[in-house]
Amino acid sequence: MKNATGAARSPFSSGRGINSFNNRLFTAFVWSASAAMVLFILALLYLILQKGLPTLTWDFILGLPSEIEEGGGIGPALFNSFYMLLISLFIAVPLGMAAGIYLAEFAPNNKLIGFVRICVEGLASVPSIIFGLFGIALFVEMFQIGLTILGGAVSLAFLNLPVMTRVTEESIRAVPGELKQASFALGATHLQTIRRVLVPSAINGLVTGLCLIAGRAFGESAVIILTAGVTTSGEMWDFNLLSPGETLAVHLWYVQSEAIVPDAVSISDKAAAVLVFVILLFNVLFRIPLWIKERNSR
Amino acid sequence: MKWFKSLSVAALAIALVSTSVSAVGAASSLKGKIVINGSSALLPLTLQAANEFKKLHPKVKISASAAGSITGPQSVRKGIADIGAVDWDASQDVPGFKKFEGQVAHKVAIIPFAAVVNKNVKVEDLTTKQLQDIFSGKVTNWKDVGGDDADIIVVNRAFGSGTRVNFQMKALQGTEFISKGNNYKEVKSSGDMKTAVETTPNSIGYMDLVYVTSNMKALKINKVAPTEANVVNGTYKVWGYGYYMTKGEPDGATKEFIEYIQSAKFQNGSLKKLKFIPISAIK
Amino acid sequence: MQLDTSARPSIAGPNASGLGTSIKAGSGKSFDRKNRLLFYNRFFKLACIASAVFVCLILFGILFLMFRTGVLTFRDVSPMTFFFSTDWSPEKDRYGAFVFIFGTFALTLLTLLISVPLSVIIAVFLAEVAPTWLRNLLRPVLDLLVGIPSVVYGFLGLTILIPLLRDITGTNMGDGILAAAIVLTIMVLPTISRVSDDAISAVPRKYRDASYALGATRFQTIFKVTIPAARSGILYGVILGMARAIGETMAVVMVIGNTPQLADALFKPTSVLTSNIVMQIANVPFDSTWNNALYMMGFLLLVISLLMIVLVRLLQRKGAHS
Repeated sequence: MKNATGAARSPFSSGRGINSFNNRLFTAFVWSASAAMVLFILALLYLILQKGLPTLTWDFILGLPSEIEEGGGIGPALFNSFYMLLISLFIAVPLGMAAGIYLAEFAPNNKLIGFVRICVEGLASVPSIIFGLFGIALFVEMFQIGLTILGGAVSLAFLNLPVMTRVTEESIRAVPGELKQASFALGATHLQTIRRVLVPSAINGLVTGLCLIAGRAFGESAVIILTAGVTTSGEMWDFNLLSPGETLAVHLWYVQSEAIVPDAVSISDKAAAVLVFVILLFNVLFRIPLWIKERNSR
Repeated sequence: MKWFKSLSVAALAIALVSTSVSAVGAASSLKGKIVINGSSALLPLTLQAANEFKKLHPKVKISASAAGSITGPQSVRKGIADIGAVDWDASQDVPGFKKFEGQVAHKVAIIPFAAVVNKNVKVEDLTTKQLQDIFSGKVTNWKDVGGDDADIIVVNRAFGSGTRVNFQMKALQGTEFISKGNNYKEVKSSGDMKTAVETTPNSIGYMDLVYVTSNMKALKINKVAPTEANVVNGTYKVWGYGYYMTKGEPDGATKEFIEYIQSAKFQNGSLKKLKFIPISAIK
Repeated sequence: MQLDTSARPSIAGPNASGLGTSIKAGSGKSFDRKNRLLFYNRFFKLACIASAVFVCLILFGILFLMFRTGVLTFRDVSPMTFFFSTDWSPEKDRYGAFVFIFGTFALTLLTLLISVPLSVIIAVFLAEVAPTWLRNLLRPVLDLLVGIPSVVYGFLGLTILIPLLRDITGTNMGDGILAAAIVLTIMVLPTISRVSDDAISAVPRKYRDASYALGATRFQTIFKVTIPAARSGILYGVILGMARAIGETMAVVMVIGNTPQLADALFKPTSVLTSNIVMQIANVPFDSTWNNALYMMGFLLLVISLLMIVLVRLLQRKGAHS
């Protein structure tokens, strides 16, 4: 701000010239740096997708995996991925949002809450393998249910809970105070204000959070290997919560690290492409309602 | 969020229906649940056997996972797995690991191992002594064993890997590995080993014979090539058994499963296709 | 009024605690409605508190699990040796974890050094410079990078990045903390830049307008007004990214070399806490000192990230005061 006022005060244009030069330089720099990054990302995506997508068939997507012959599919693993993602979101989103709303709206501003916040961030940094160990201790050793979809999904939810909490808190805090006060002034209760004003205004941030955790859950392997196993029940559409639950990411890991099938490389290329494609789809699908809303409100 | 809710309600409903459906109608009367954990090198074999076994006995549930060999017998001891897959006989002491009391070892397959090098390495053949020197860090340049003048890059598996235990016992005759250095790295799985050796010039590593591809070179050891025939006729010594460990003698579905995997039908069929060697091939 | 005690928001609007007043003025049925609303309100708040407590409980559950097993290490190894010795040869009963602790700090620092400037530039681009259509296109693409499984990153690192580094620098292997930091940068970049992007976008328009009205250029506005105003959000993004960098395993383990030696050069196979845990945890006997030492390292990892978070928070508070 000092520079700005200084430049304005200067009767000569030299200061302003440097500023505008800086400004242009900066704009050019930001554009080129971002363009380089975007190119890099696109190259990365192209690299992953071009190896897999062209040869993709429905037989592969819905087929059963094979250990010996070529042509095994990823059907059950892909199904498990969606099924587990759904269960884990079902646990993580309400809990995470509630905790985030508490931290943003109800929590008093004291040391204890500061401590809680550090806990949440700390939990977000726990390596996934440790969640896996925790999942084993909880589900396999304590509840003795073995390697199951349920155990994997709950462990995944634990992994995603802190991220959802923090994203919710941040985006609710970012809602301008006037909106909230206006709602209170209309006589709304706190709950009504949260439901009708804060959450809808923070929806952009919340959707980002949702995309983040959905993507992470979809791509996570370490937790699931430990808590849900590396097998599927061997059939499609198995909704039993106590079946073993190999997901696509785990299958990818398995194919890359141990599988003996002759077409392992092509399977892993295709599986990686499917993974990335699905995550791309999530991001677009979750966002379409936002775009429509934005367009309407303009 | 409403669609989300109704979707998950539907999912739950279908889940309930499908469990009740799968309980009806079965060909075999054998029931039970088998949990298998342990060696990742034996995982393809286990998964294939599990698939075939489930077709014969639809009421048996099999879930398999893999972490490392030692996890197998340990999970069995803890009671969280019925079968522990392991690359050595865990009812005996091996270098680095004590035996597991009260567990029974069942041989399920013969696994040959091979020393492999990157394609740019000129060496074709190493003696046991040369292998020992390379993997213990005494020889660090390929020219000392008949190759070009280049540093040897040693790629090793992590301690406790079944492949590592077998390679150390059979190929290096117990010699200790090096553990540090600028040209030394460790990898986590057979697949990582394959990628590392394929992409790193002047590297040497080792793996199950199954994983050897045309993008790398399997070395002759003491002038004997690592082939199935040489394992069977007794000239190639670097191989080991794969074992299933159980707590005492197995019963029920577990027993049936182990018998199935040891049956001539499976051993000479799928097991051979997976490029393991049937246990009956060597007396 | 008893309802004053039930809902007291932290950032209380003027009317926040007197929420029932307008309802009371309504028709005869209002009393029921008021009670019902109050009940919902209280119930909702309780549910929120329960969730927050639950999140903390998970952390304590994990800390307890790691500590319970980890502390057994010190029956056989002195803490001095564990924390300050660089000799990690468990097969010979020598458990010095300093190499891994140092490696974790070095790797995290290096990653942040590369990724934070890059991410903030991208965030600024997305929030301030890019036209709307490009923004709407790029945001999902960035989110997508988060979802790519770490196994894929590791594999690409091993097959593309490392040969590239080997060619450029002429080293023998290419494995080491630089390769790991580059892979991690790509992994944390979307996290940091998306969260910062949201934070920058959330800075009220009037700040920017005021700055422009004073004659500031876009460059000045962004660096002197927008970024400082969004500091807390950006910092949160950095924490999240840092947390992911500290905790990432599957990708790091493929490019770091996994050798227990001090990371005193960019290209030297080394090892960090996570990669060492994931390499060895599956292969050690359950009740051995080795296993306990790995759990202790897991506990340490948690403590390190908690400490780093506290540190960042303190810095932030200091910054806010000055």
